[in-house]
Amino acid sequence: MKKLVGVLAGAAFLASAASAQAEVIKIGLIASFSGAFAVWGQQFRQSVEAYQKVNGKSVDGHEIQFIFRDNGGADPAKSRQLAEELILREKVKFITGFELTPNALAVAELITEAKIPTVIFNAATSMITRSSPYFVRTSMTVQQYVAPLPTWAVKEGGIKTAYTVVSDYAPGHDAEEIFIKNFEAAGGKILGKDRIPLNVTDFAPYIERAGASGAQAVYVFIPAGAPSVSLVREFAKRGLKDKGVKLLAGGEVQEIFLPAIGDDVIGTISSAHYTETNTNPENILLRKTLVEMFGKDATPDMGTVGAWDGTKLIYEAIKQFGPKITGDQFVNFAKGRKWDSPRGPVMIDPVERDIIQQVYMRRVEKRDGKLVNIDFFTSGMVKDPWKEARPAGK
Amino acid sequence: MLLFTILLDGIAYGMVLFLISVGLTVTMGLMRVVNLAHGSFAMLGGYLSSVMIRHYGVPFIWSTLGAAIVCGLIGGLAELTIYRPLYRKGDLAQVLLTFGMIFVSIAAMTLLFGPTPVAESMPKWLEGQIDLGFRTYPSYRLFLIGVGTLLAIVLYFIIERSLFGARLRAAVDDPGMARALGINVNLLFTLTFIGGCALAGFGGAIGAGILPIEPFYALKYLVLFLVVVVIGGLGSFRGSLAAALSVGILDTAGKYLVPQLGSFLLWFIVFGLLLWRPNGLLPPKSAT
Repeated sequence: MKKLVGVLAGAAFLASAASAQAEVIKIGLIASFSGAFAVWGQQFRQSVEAYQKVNGKSVDGHEIQFIFRDNGGADPAKSRQLAEELILREKVKFITGFELTPNALAVAELITEAKIPTVIFNAATSMITRSSPYFVRTSMTVQQYVAPLPTWAVKEGGIKTAYTVVSDYAPGHDAEEIFIKNFEAAGGKILGKDRIPLNVTDFAPYIERAGASGAQAVYVFIPAGAPSVSLVREFAKRGLKDKGVKLLAGGEVQEIFLPAIGDDVIGTISSAHYTETNTNPENILLRKTLVEMFGKDATPDMGTVGAWDGTKLIYEAIKQFGPKITGDQFVNFAKGRKWDSPRGPVMIDPVERDIIQQVYMRRVEKRDGKLVNIDFFTSGMVKDPWKEARPAGK
Repeated sequence: MLLFTILLDGIAYGMVLFLISVGLTVTMGLMRVVNLAHGSFAMLGGYLSSVMIRHYGVPFIWSTLGAAIVCGLIGGLAELTIYRPLYRKGDLAQVLLTFGMIFVSIAAMTLLFGPTPVAESMPKWLEGQIDLGFRTYPSYRLFLIGVGTLLAIVLYFIIERSLFGARLRAAVDDPGMARALGINVNLLFTLTFIGGCALAGFGGAIGAGILPIEPFYALKYLVLFLVVVVIGGLGSFRGSLAAALSVGILDTAGKYLVPQLGSFLLWFIVFGLLLWRPNGLLPPKSAT
């Protein structure tokens, strides 16, 4: 009898040891799942779920559990509160997500104090990663993906004069700054620049002004969604396109928004760090998985690819350090890391913890009855120009 | 030439605002219901029209009329079930409930159609430009001006020249006396509500080329619709036309001539107009 008890106790001990080994690693994801920016939450979640479908919901037997939290839009206080709750109550090892800059900045102090590594899936203002040593960004910065566009326009595109129309908020100012700087550096001339308030709904006057300037190209930067749809439609409907004026854009003409703009958008040239139609094996896998899981209309965008790569980075770090991974281990693991993303080759800047990547010039075309972006020019690896112009610690 | 361009752009924009807001001004003026969810009907109209065009191949014009009818019916149903109990509950209850309805409509549309703007579904004949002699101009905007003018004339006859309109105006000016004279104010309310929602649905569908249809539509443009109602004068049909066109033209002129003013521009216009006419441009007699 005594022997039997001993055996049972031993078995119980082994069982508990085994269960202690297989841990649940929780990852918080904060983004808009409702409200005006709900598209980001949808894209992040689909991307994470697609990644988990391909790579499994566990790493070496440890379950990876994403906890989604809705901040409802640009709401720094709510984002901070959600991050607090995720860290204290849910005991997450990582925080991810963040569609908008103010939401990301709001958690900087908190994650620094708690040493919780935080992977930014989108928010694109340059200085975010300098606000905490635990931020790592897998998306892009505004100036990074805009920078090659003006240079290409003058040198390869034969465009000598341009007019800029940007939204009157920080990312718009960043875009305007780098576009004008590089356009003029390449020998082009800016004929005028307008800043559009965020509450504007009718864009006719701005397009009319740009057209009247006689510029060969109009550069636009405006939040993707209803405003960008209106603006690009207006450009085409006003006949500027027929007069041979080129429209230069960025995130406005991501594939996901093209059906809303309509055939008028064909011919628009844009620069971006991710082209949805590229034929990288990772991208084909990503698109195939999205369609399998979420239906034939599921389309990846910048948010999807940022979330896919962020999730991959976390998976690989856990593979190396196990479930007890610390914040510092993760950040050091990420620094200087290179991998093949669905967008192409990428690398994390070992100093700034920001992503370094190629930028692609694309043109909107109709293929098999579907509006898509087609690559026609690839830049070299681009570091965030904003940070290069403003070195840290100065 | 520049002046013409500004006028055309301003009128086209103003017409969209007019089509959507006129229903709101009448329901607010007549029933004293603060119906913040009015934009939800415009949004619904836009979605319905787009679904009819893309999934059932309905021609554009018929789809906008279909959207108007369905929105009117749903509006009528909502009047009987949701709004009627609210008439005596005061402004706060109305604001809270109708604002809540906006959130319900946003969530419902996100669930049904996803968070991105709906696919563009304008017919080919509205895509191009028309030569006006001194310049070419988008045919879609000319079409909006035409439809808006036509509807304004039709509404003028219904509201200012028909018996129905006379009763409606009487009820707006003095509901108590109208009731005492034997006017069935309840029926008038329901019919007006149906009309207002149908117009909103129609405006949402036909104006989708300027105000893209997306789940946040109802909230995003709410302030704009309210501005038209307030500037026009509560309950005034002619006021809402005048207000929509003034806002459209002044806003367009401002953006064109002094873009540096940015987002202050619209508020300067509102401020100036209200300082000049605190009760609105053409308020009904009851408000003065």
